[in-house]
Amino acid sequence: MASASPEVSEVDSSARGTINFLLLSALLWLVASGVLALLHFVQTLSPAFLADCPAFTYGRMRGHVETAFIYGWIGNAGFAIALWILGRLGGSPLRSLNWAIVGTLFWNLGVLLGLVGIALGDGTATPFLRVPEYVQLLLLVSSGAIAVPGILAWTGRNRARTFAAQWYAVAALFLFPWVFSVAQLMLVHFPVRGVLQAIAAGWFAQSVWTLWIAPLALAAAYYLVPKITGRIIPNYDFSSLGFWTLLVVGGWTGGRHLIGGPVPVWVATIAIVACATLVFHYIVVALNLRRVFSARGSTALRFVAFGVAAYLVGGLADAVTSLRGVAKLLQFTWMTQAHTQLALSGAFTLIAFGAIYFLVPRIANQPWPSTALIRAHFAASLIGTLGLVAGLAVAGFAQGGALADASVSFADIAAKTRPWLLLATAGQAVLLLGNTALLFHFVRLLATKPAATAAPLFREPAAMEASAT
Amino acid sequence: MRNGFLFFLGLFGSALLAWAGIVLGSHAQLGDLRPHVDETEGKAFPLRHSGISQQGQLVYDDLGCATCHTQQVRRPGFGSDKERGWGDHQSVARDYIFEMRVQLGESRLGPDLANLGARKAPYDAEDLYNLLYTGAGAMPAYKFLFEERAIADRQPSDHALRLTGNLAPAAGTEIVPTPRARALVAYLLSLNHTYEYPEARPVEPAKEGEHK
Repeated sequence: MASASPEVSEVDSSARGTINFLLLSALLWLVASGVLALLHFVQTLSPAFLADCPAFTYGRMRGHVETAFIYGWIGNAGFAIALWILGRLGGSPLRSLNWAIVGTLFWNLGVLLGLVGIALGDGTATPFLRVPEYVQLLLLVSSGAIAVPGILAWTGRNRARTFAAQWYAVAALFLFPWVFSVAQLMLVHFPVRGVLQAIAAGWFAQSVWTLWIAPLALAAAYYLVPKITGRIIPNYDFSSLGFWTLLVVGGWTGGRHLIGGPVPVWVATIAIVACATLVFHYIVVALNLRRVFSARGSTALRFVAFGVAAYLVGGLADAVTSLRGVAKLLQFTWMTQAHTQLALSGAFTLIAFGAIYFLVPRIANQPWPSTALIRAHFAASLIGTLGLVAGLAVAGFAQGGALADASVSFADIAAKTRPWLLLATAGQAVLLLGNTALLFHFVRLLATKPAATAAPLFREPAAMEASAT
Repeated sequence: MRNGFLFFLGLFGSALLAWAGIVLGSHAQLGDLRPHVDETEGKAFPLRHSGISQQGQLVYDDLGCATCHTQQVRRPGFGSDKERGWGDHQSVARDYIFEMRVQLGESRLGPDLANLGARKAPYDAEDLYNLLYTGAGAMPAYKFLFEERAIADRQPSDHALRLTGNLAPAAGTEIVPTPRARALVAYLLSLNHTYEYPEARPVEPAKEGEHK
């Protein structure tokens, strides 16, 4: 993907304001959702905590955490990364950035209003779509506005050849409004009848992951790995097969969590088959990105490596846990949460951190102020994610085994899972600590005066990471 | 992927295909599911929710009860749902046709509630009020669904909670469920999937040498 243009060009500097705005909002939401998630864990461990505060009942708190994380952090960060990649690979500065700035403003207003609405009891109980009805339209329109510069950069690209990173980024920008609007129509405005609501909700939750969040993460990974290692993607011919497999099959996993439920059996069966088919996609991603695991010396790339590993492990785990015999035990347990966290806090977030550490110095024309902070954040992300996911997964096994035995009471199940939930809580706390460090670091970088001489730092691939090592 | 239009069409089509397959496909199968008329009982099942219990469903929805409680019984042998006394047969799509907001639920930190209203004691309204007011084990108390008010010269409310020990209200006051609590309890008591539809009967595999 190398070109003759200098490493830092007008493409980066012209997008500075927009991308910094998106990333600052993203990091603020990331820390906010971390605080909320920690409070939510405390509620899990001692149910009396905040119980007298109607705005933060256990169920509503789940909505707060999820909304702040998905729409606050993933939304803002994902849009920023997608726009930046499309601008760079499109080959010319992003156009119509005003759309994105206004869109970002209203998107964040929407997320904030969403949290207020959930606190007031206006939220819905649909996973990933918990914001109140009156906020959904706002989020939909602003996501479309943010996507405008990205789509323009794609249609007006000055190279005939396109790259995998671009496909994934365009797919994410285009499909989010598609999926989000259809879900609103079917679940909120004109709710479908009976269990069809559950099927539509399942389709939405799985599509948000396979058609929006996963493509955002993959766009970043497919861009960063060859860029930083300075080597081409091996088996690149397969990448389009991997791409279309994810897009075509992803939505069919909608019945993933309805196995054994009051829905037509074929809905669950197709979901199981789809989860198994997606293994092909994971194999392609592993083949294409395998060099990330042997690369040394770049902290940004180490984040991406662990993110890709989380993505692959999550995908294989999904294929296994969707099987009926396994789902019988692990359905309705903490395992679902473990899997969600592996995908969101693991795959997406770690890859996004790698992208942030790579792109921010380039658009700000300024190296990161502190290497120690980046290393500390990496250690915190790794330990925190492992603790969180492992704690939830083991708690899921313990809970699943105990639920299957009718003589074990719910009090005993809570006692059995408690130590593992404590581990997950500790992991969440470490994550919060690391993410606060990143927010602080980012603000410090923005507050420093741009140095006119930073650009040569980025010229050579090896020296690029001088800002991050 | 040089042809931009074809690429967009592909994106659109791949999302459309899955949506049409799963959502429209099951809609075609279940969209016009009718109540089952039982001529022996002279009633059509499922029964419709009363007005107050429909309000209660909204309370259930907005407090996020579905975060810990499911409302779906899995078939005997698939999990311990039957052994735990949650229901003798599995919940089927027809059970939910009159639900405004279906609450299948995503996790079981607490028991399944699909048949709560059908269970014998200790689940009557008073127990549910007490449970909501005091909480139990992993379940938080929902004290904000109740109000403490002075009895003054009035006659005590019929709905006042009979609490003893250190939960008892101060002398001259009483703890009364708010309208939201009453709606929620009415909803919980209306949850009943006990009627066995033809499609809910488990299919017994024919034994060897047996003709059906």
